[in-house]
Amino acid sequence: MAKTGTNPIDGKAATTKKTFSRTTSASIGINAHPGIIWALLTNASDFPRWNSTVTSIEGRIAPGETIRLKSILDEKRVFKLRVTDMTPEKAMTWQDGMAPFFKGVRQYQLTAGQGGQTRFVMTERIGGLMFPMAAKHIPDFNPVFEQFANDLKKEAETIQKAKN
Amino acid sequence: MDTERFNAAFEDHRPQLRAFLLRMTASTEDAEDLVQDTYLKAHAGLSGYRGESSLKTWIFAIGSNLARDLLRHRKRWPEHATDICREAALANREFLGEMMQIRMTSPQGQFEIREHIAFCFTCISKSLPLEQQLVLLLKEVCEFRVKEIAGIIGNTEAMVKYYLHTARQKMIGIFDNRCSLISKNGICHQCSELNGIFNPKQNLQEELVKIEMARDAENKDKETLFDLRMRIIQAIDPYESEAAELQLHHLQHNKQVIENYLEKN
Repeated sequence: MAKTGTNPIDGKAATTKKTFSRTTSASIGINAHPGIIWALLTNASDFPRWNSTVTSIEGRIAPGETIRLKSILDEKRVFKLRVTDMTPEKAMTWQDGMAPFFKGVRQYQLTAGQGGQTRFVMTERIGGLMFPMAAKHIPDFNPVFEQFANDLKKEAETIQKAKN
Repeated sequence: MDTERFNAAFEDHRPQLRAFLLRMTASTEDAEDLVQDTYLKAHAGLSGYRGESSLKTWIFAIGSNLARDLLRHRKRWPEHATDICREAALANREFLGEMMQIRMTSPQGQFEIREHIAFCFTCISKSLPLEQQLVLLLKEVCEFRVKEIAGIIGNTEAMVKYYLHTARQKMIGIFDNRCSLISKNGICHQCSELNGIFNPKQNLQEELVKIEMARDAENKDKETLFDLRMRIIQAIDPYESEAAELQLHHLQHNKQVIENYLEKN
């Protein structure tokens, strides 16, 4: 069951709700090199193979590029997201919408975790002046974020275990 | 290292390099050219070889880069390339006649299912993105280590593992869907068809029992079956085996058919 709050436990998502915004975050420790996780997060066409929350991504995941993503959140909708920031093996930001009315910002972060783990954190803030009107139509992100994080962990650890 | 020692070492590695380049290009002509170019480039750069990697790794790095340069702008083969080629072969009496002639007269004209498994792998691996195909061959067929492959392709070990994993998953998926040797639902029966044509007196089941991958298909997981397939391929030198002329002739045919297909599609 997804928790609501600001400090998600490993593999679980949490959402913080405010009047003009909502922020969902999931975090998980992964026993894999950040380069492997980064490869999974930046190879668009390969996403649907390992990530059960994404049905397709078209385009290149590279700075300044726009990708077209279909998610199980709403299979009829194509999310057009712009890749705005990328620091290899560390962080990446995708954005859509138009400030100040409505904007979504998704950030991925990789940091060194405990015991040689890589800590993966995924955060999405959606908000703006129009947010209160749209809020009730936006589905709960927590289950999908948890699924995303756990799929990533499973796939990255499988690759990490490959024979050298 | 002096030229004499280098030449001797290069000759030791030449057969595996040539087989690797043949599997990359699916072309005997390209493979021969690339081996020659690898030699010339390695020889010219010999003074720059510092021994940080083994000579074999260094030679394969040169060969891999030359192959990449050659193949970068060529289209990937479709996953069902062998279906397209089968149709073309059945409509081409001249080709079938040549095959029979080789089968009857050449010392390297035997038809063996193992050889066809290796041949089929070459065709299907050409449907992978170039980096994945390269890493898969270097790891699973040439048996380089991940660290060595990272040096050969000039990328991180993490990316090598990623390419290897994605390549394996794609190939496992394709074989699971296509290969009737390992899957009851496999749609491709070319091994048994060709064995029936070239070895009409042979009992197919007896032949299949000799191949661990086919014999134990029901009891092994897909990853293990793929590893068994790789073991078959590792053991075959496509230029030196008793089936070499037959299979190389067949490969040349497939390459021509697929190039024509890719031009039109």
